[in-house]
Amino acid sequence: MSSAFPAAHEWPAEGTHRVPFWAYTRDDLYRKELERFFYAGHWCYVGLEAEIPNPGDFRRTVIGERSVIMVRDADGAINVVENVCAHRGLRFCRERHGNRKDFLCPYHQWNYSLKGELQGVPFRRGVKQDGKVNGGMPKDFRVEEHGLTRLKVARRGGVVFAAFDHEVEPLEDFLGPTILAYFDRVFDGRELTVLGYRRQRIPGNWKLMQENIKDPYHPGLLHTWFSTFGLWRADNKSELKMDARHRHAAMISTRGQGGKNEEVVGGVDSFKDHMQVNDPRLLDIVPEPWWGGPTAVMTTIFPSLIVQQQVNSVSMRHIQPNGHGSFDFVWTHFGFAEDSEEMQQRRLIQANLFGPAGFVSADDGEVIEWSQEGFEQKPAHRTLIEMGGHEIGDTDHMVTETLIRGMYAYWRQVMGE
Amino acid sequence: MPGNWIAALALEALPEADVIGVSVEGRDIALYEVDGEVYASDNICTHGHARLSDGFLEGRQIECPLHQGKFDVCSGRALCAPLTEDIRTYPVKIEDGRVFIDMS
Repeated sequence: MSSAFPAAHEWPAEGTHRVPFWAYTRDDLYRKELERFFYAGHWCYVGLEAEIPNPGDFRRTVIGERSVIMVRDADGAINVVENVCAHRGLRFCRERHGNRKDFLCPYHQWNYSLKGELQGVPFRRGVKQDGKVNGGMPKDFRVEEHGLTRLKVARRGGVVFAAFDHEVEPLEDFLGPTILAYFDRVFDGRELTVLGYRRQRIPGNWKLMQENIKDPYHPGLLHTWFSTFGLWRADNKSELKMDARHRHAAMISTRGQGGKNEEVVGGVDSFKDHMQVNDPRLLDIVPEPWWGGPTAVMTTIFPSLIVQQQVNSVSMRHIQPNGHGSFDFVWTHFGFAEDSEEMQQRRLIQANLFGPAGFVSADDGEVIEWSQEGFEQKPAHRTLIEMGGHEIGDTDHMVTETLIRGMYAYWRQVMGE
Repeated sequence: MPGNWIAALALEALPEADVIGVSVEGRDIALYEVDGEVYASDNICTHGHARLSDGFLEGRQIECPLHQGKFDVCSGRALCAPLTEDIRTYPVKIEDGRVFIDMS
């Protein structure tokens, strides 16, 4: 008799064209994911250098479930330290961002430098009273041994990554040459400007967000807003590329002209050529030289980052898991210091497509939630990831789930499941 | 220009090679005795809120009890992290067995 809640967890078929629902519902697997993807062997996104331009500027963020602080010190270097006091373990930093000369835990005022070194401990030598000194730390107490946990930091093109694992491979090797080229396409050394943030909590497994951006065949079907106005069309010229280990990917597409003069509506039934948006800047394209052709490139960097370039809107999307069935999704919309005021306005207007209430992205949050609901009620079942076949490989079209199969091939390898 | 010299303490009340806190015209002042000389500074550390007179004087260096920041008591200079600001010092003179400091 088959069990609704099986004790044994077997992968449903060879390969990764079937993924068990339990891959999204088990707390033990989720903790293993945190250990193997977020806390070891991988670079995780922490922020943009432009968020902390001045000495003492800091920004609090998250890697996996661990609170960390990205801070620029007096030398201009960027440090990432774990937000856990070396004394009694407090997540001491509560502000999202600010400027400081040092860090102070409020409980017993342990004081740390912006590099994470312990600088001072109250009453280290005790308290003088009536000619006698009471208490104090033992003689063998060394401040050098009790700093904050310091992460390894990599900076490229104004983007900051960090790793708890100091043995992690160089960032460039981690990304691999194919994905690195798409990363450098956006972050080619130009000064970045932060335009704003959005944050939302999505009640679904964190991997579903990676899958969403590795799934180029849903936008024309789910996002009727896109297809209504001809923004996404199944006949868009497109390519899918992965790194050698299939964990990262780029969805590269070049939008056609749109409108009824195109012969193919591409199998999307919501195309309505009599409908127009009120503000054409939401949809029209002002090509930028750095694109080098494609009008949109969505880059998934495993495990926690999506670099979005959708026409003139560019943003970092940061996945911050909190439990097997929930993650925070934090959007940092940015532009470039060289942008004209008009271009900056355009980037801001196009940002309305994205975020928790975006014309397009609101749909993704919903379907991720509904996916999780399906998984939870039927953990012995599995998803079907067979569009485009069972194989894993780069393609020159979008009618495939190859990138999801690739990600799970990597996942199985690292997780040993 | 004449200073605003205020009597702060009887010299004999000042412990040898140590620090003491006094209130002078409502201001917390630390007095130090170093090799027979007397020095004075503000008593509240420029970093955390702590009295230097609760700290530890070693030679001419006072160490704050809170975060181990050190000042040179002769010059007021901040000598190490986490200090970023020097501390104000005051001219001192001894007359008739009393310590006067110039509050001007």
